[in-house]
Amino acid sequence: MASGSGFVIETESLCKAYGEIRALNEISLQVPEGSIFGFLGPNGAGKTTTIRILMGFTRATSGRATVFGHDSWADGVAVRSRIGYLVTADALYPDLSGDDQLAFAASISGREPVWRGRLLDALELDRKVLDRRLGTYSKGMRQKLALVSSAQHAPELLVFDEPTDGLDPLIQRNFAELLRDFRAEGTTVFMSSHDLGEVERLCDHVAVVRAGRLIAGGSMAELKQQYAQRVEVTFADAVPGGIDDIVGARLIERNGTMVTLHVDHDFNSMLRFLAGHDVVRMEIRPPELQEVFMSYYESGDSPSLPDGATTR
Amino acid sequence: MMTAMIRRLLQRGLAGALMLLLGVMIFQFVNPIIADSIGGEEGLSQLIELLPPGLQTLAQISPDFIALTGLAGYLSLGYDHPVYLVLVMSAIIGFTSRSIAGEIDRGTLALTLSRPIPRTNIYLARVAGLLVLIAVFAGAGPVATWLGLAMAQPTGEVSTDQLLALALLCGLLAWAVGGLSLMVSAASGTTGRVVGWATGFLVISFFVDYFAELWDMLEPVKPFSIFWYFDTTNTVVDGSVPMMSVLVLGGSGLLGVIAGWWKFTRRDFEI
Repeated sequence: MASGSGFVIETESLCKAYGEIRALNEISLQVPEGSIFGFLGPNGAGKTTTIRILMGFTRATSGRATVFGHDSWADGVAVRSRIGYLVTADALYPDLSGDDQLAFAASISGREPVWRGRLLDALELDRKVLDRRLGTYSKGMRQKLALVSSAQHAPELLVFDEPTDGLDPLIQRNFAELLRDFRAEGTTVFMSSHDLGEVERLCDHVAVVRAGRLIAGGSMAELKQQYAQRVEVTFADAVPGGIDDIVGARLIERNGTMVTLHVDHDFNSMLRFLAGHDVVRMEIRPPELQEVFMSYYESGDSPSLPDGATTR
Repeated sequence: MMTAMIRRLLQRGLAGALMLLLGVMIFQFVNPIIADSIGGEEGLSQLIELLPPGLQTLAQISPDFIALTGLAGYLSLGYDHPVYLVLVMSAIIGFTSRSIAGEIDRGTLALTLSRPIPRTNIYLARVAGLLVLIAVFAGAGPVATWLGLAMAQPTGEVSTDQLLALALLCGLLAWAVGGLSLMVSAASGTTGRVVGWATGFLVISFFVDYFAELWDMLEPVKPFSIFWYFDTTNTVVDGSVPMMSVLVLGGSGLLGVIAGWWKFTRRDFEI
């Protein structure tokens, strides 16, 4: 259960500085209970630093981070008793067998590994593999074992940093289905990933960070809505003049009689322009997360949350 | 949870620790056999007298050494011998560096830090592992000496109390070094740094103690060496550990452990 506010994770003006370098700058997040929350950003954006603060590995320079209503630093034990955290695949003990690694992880979790069987099935880890020492595992197999190790004790919140790194597409699909099942059972998932396709398929909420600042956030639908729609128009004849002067639209591509436009929220100017010409085909497509994501990274130097954007 | 953590810590590097332990036991086992082959106390006395004065000075041993200290005195030399010290300290520093800094290096510390275990308990598991290792290594030498005595039966007397006192003194030295290196490990992020600092400290301490015996000029700095409080000969002859050694070696280890705890429970872990 969340703290009462409906949010499992809440951060308020979270800052982390290393000397002169500000790794996090006023990050405020709210992760709804029972959601799969994608935390996006390029390398060095502050994703891992945020996760470290949530896990109580590091202390925030200023601001506040609570998980299930508990301060992540001061009440770290209470916080971590309800979290399943994915360590990097290299952080497992190479001298242990898969079975021994899982037994060790279970013994220090203080909870029964009730999800172990489901995870092993979904990730297709069989008995023969578990009997082998981790030193003989491939990167993908270590990643699978790290996933089982992190979630086998049925935590209420899963914190994953690049969970499907090194997994083949079939296993990724199985794992995504399992995460959806966990969400349906009330588990919240907070994950960072570079695989935007995966985030788009899995997550219902996202936040984007860049250079330690939160630059966008909200539900996946809200985020896409804020971004320009992609409109493909095919004319019967040549592309008419003045198409690159439509208010609220930006010409992206011209290919023979076809053009691609990015249109902000107001379609009226574009429709008025097109009404005066012979249009044989028009397709309006919502942007993919990839486009939204890139737009935030390629935009100006002083990013800010778009109007109306929230992190909920 | 504590038991699982301690077991895991001791399992890591177990093969290396067992090899070092075997080395310690062989080294101390053969000393009584050598003493017997030389001719017991009488033969040892004659051998020392035959040594040139310069060599006696370098070995820090006088012609009447055996007359004053007996067979036990001779055997005590095996405990401040560099080979023995290197073997024991390698095991201790190896453990302390591996158990915190090494786990940061590899990232494995995240496994325990991400669980509902107070940092104090995670640290105490390291201290408990260190104590187990110290007990095993401090006890192994005297046990091996006793086995060697039982087998070779050289002339001369060595009592169980003398061997116990020796074990306690060796344990105190290992505790001092272990506590101080655990402190460095808790404050550091790399194994190499811990090994470097701890080895440097030991080597400087050893040579300060050694050269202070040869050069009067260094006499005032003697008490600053940890080995000044590690007098195996007096301990084995008296059959008890000097109180000053208990206070300084025990206190140094305890201070190191407390300082390490203070740092470990407050620091950021970038893992």
